[in-house]
Amino acid sequence: MLTFVTVILAAAVLVLLAIAMGWVLGWANRAFYVYVDPKILEIQDALPGANCGGCGYVGCNSYADALGTGADEDLTLCGPGGTSCVGAIAEILGIEVTEVWPYKAVVHCAAKLDERLLKMEYQGEPTCAAANLVAGFQGCIYGCMGLSDCVRVCDYDAIHIVDGVAVVDYEKCTGCKLCAAACPRNIITMVPFKRSEMFVVACSNDDFGKEVQSVCTVGCTGCMSCSRVSDMMVMDGNRPAINYDLYEDFTDFEPILEKCKRSSLIFVGIPTEGQVAAVADEEVPERIEADFQTTVDDTEWRG
Amino acid sequence: METLSSLIMIFIGAALINNFVLHYFVGICPFLGVSKRVDTAFGMGLAVIFVILIASTLSWLFTFFILRPMAPIPVWIWQVAGGNPETTVDLSVLSYIIYIFVIASSVQFVEMYVRKFQPALYESFGVFLPLITTNCAILFACLEIMKNLQDPTMLWGLHEALILALGGGIGFLIAITLMAGIRAELDLCDVPKSLKGAGIALIVAGIMAMAFMGFTGMDRGVEQALSALGSR
Repeated sequence: MLTFVTVILAAAVLVLLAIAMGWVLGWANRAFYVYVDPKILEIQDALPGANCGGCGYVGCNSYADALGTGADEDLTLCGPGGTSCVGAIAEILGIEVTEVWPYKAVVHCAAKLDERLLKMEYQGEPTCAAANLVAGFQGCIYGCMGLSDCVRVCDYDAIHIVDGVAVVDYEKCTGCKLCAAACPRNIITMVPFKRSEMFVVACSNDDFGKEVQSVCTVGCTGCMSCSRVSDMMVMDGNRPAINYDLYEDFTDFEPILEKCKRSSLIFVGIPTEGQVAAVADEEVPERIEADFQTTVDDTEWRG
Repeated sequence: METLSSLIMIFIGAALINNFVLHYFVGICPFLGVSKRVDTAFGMGLAVIFVILIASTLSWLFTFFILRPMAPIPVWIWQVAGGNPETTVDLSVLSYIIYIFVIASSVQFVEMYVRKFQPALYESFGVFLPLITTNCAILFACLEIMKNLQDPTMLWGLHEALILALGGGIGFLIAITLMAGIRAELDLCDVPKSLKGAGIALIVAGIMAMAFMGFTGMDRGVEQALSALGSR
């Protein structure tokens, strides 16, 4: 009997409450109507509505407000929405979205430890920023010093010192630019990766001829041969830069590569399947992965 | 004097001794989520005080008239329907659903009102309102009020419910503002990589909770002081 009483009364109370609240809110919706740009409402519908705050706004609605009023012009802030969400918002706002290439870090130095000449014994603080202040750390005043400033700032474990030179792991690189900002010699730049593997200039030495040869066995001497065979290679001082606007998927790099006697032009990135298959028969040195249980990592504890 | 001292006790208990965030660990989501900058944290705290007052007023009304055992409205409905007047009528099973329902719709209503008539106020904390409608700190205040209405021998009045809500809201404001201040300082510290972000925030929250345990026992001292004041 008791449960029966409860059930009947509960049902009655809830139904009455629902009707009352529905009426009040419906009335309030009309009485307190505020004009809102219909575009903002559409953007609100297009956004995921998760209110995660990843865009830097309090919730999806305030991001929609900022987009609709033009306070914020960056459509790509919404992580959960992804590409489809950007497309939908662009359609609402009448903006065309162009294809965007992922920018990833490229180290413009590939000289291994034994290829760099005139090295001195250095016993100061083991950071590039400190070593860069000391004259004569190594012969080349432009190239990588290999003291891990970029490795320490990387949040994605995507850059490592291999044979004394910083090497980017393109499986992990997200293009956050932290390493480019950390490098005291500014040899890391962001390059648009138009395909998984990119052709880059792997030298930053701005000197000419003999001066380069005296400090490095692989550095660019500024011979300008590559810029004569291709419009894509533009001389910037005594070393070439690549004009990535002209870079196409089908560009033939063979003639350029043949001209370079100093192996300053290299490919970086993730090799395509075809390239992996082409060298599949060759013997590959066994790669040893770091064991995180026994290896001391290079995290630095200070203070 | 007796009433006043009990009100003071309720207020101090909710704000400091049994702080909602740091003693009961309710309302953690805004406490960790919106505590990166002091000004937004303060706005969030004010919005919580605002909503908690509305919510506890409504929940006291609904509990007193509908949800507590032998509440007048269901008893009246039951007797009009011709039921046995001896039967105990208790609708407290409905408490959760009704609290959430009532809080959510009333906050919606308030948001629409503020947006129309107080645009400046809406700018400053209107955006927080939908995020805290069904926050557990607010639901917790309602449930605390319900607990004190179920025993017919010591029924809480509306004033006691409001004092509890105000105390809880101010306690939340204190906790989240302190947290935001500490986290702003933390940005300048050399935190180990593995603890950055949420990890260090949770550790800070835990240390703050331990610090607030220092208020335990303060209630007895305040009670003695108040009774000494009353007897004089």
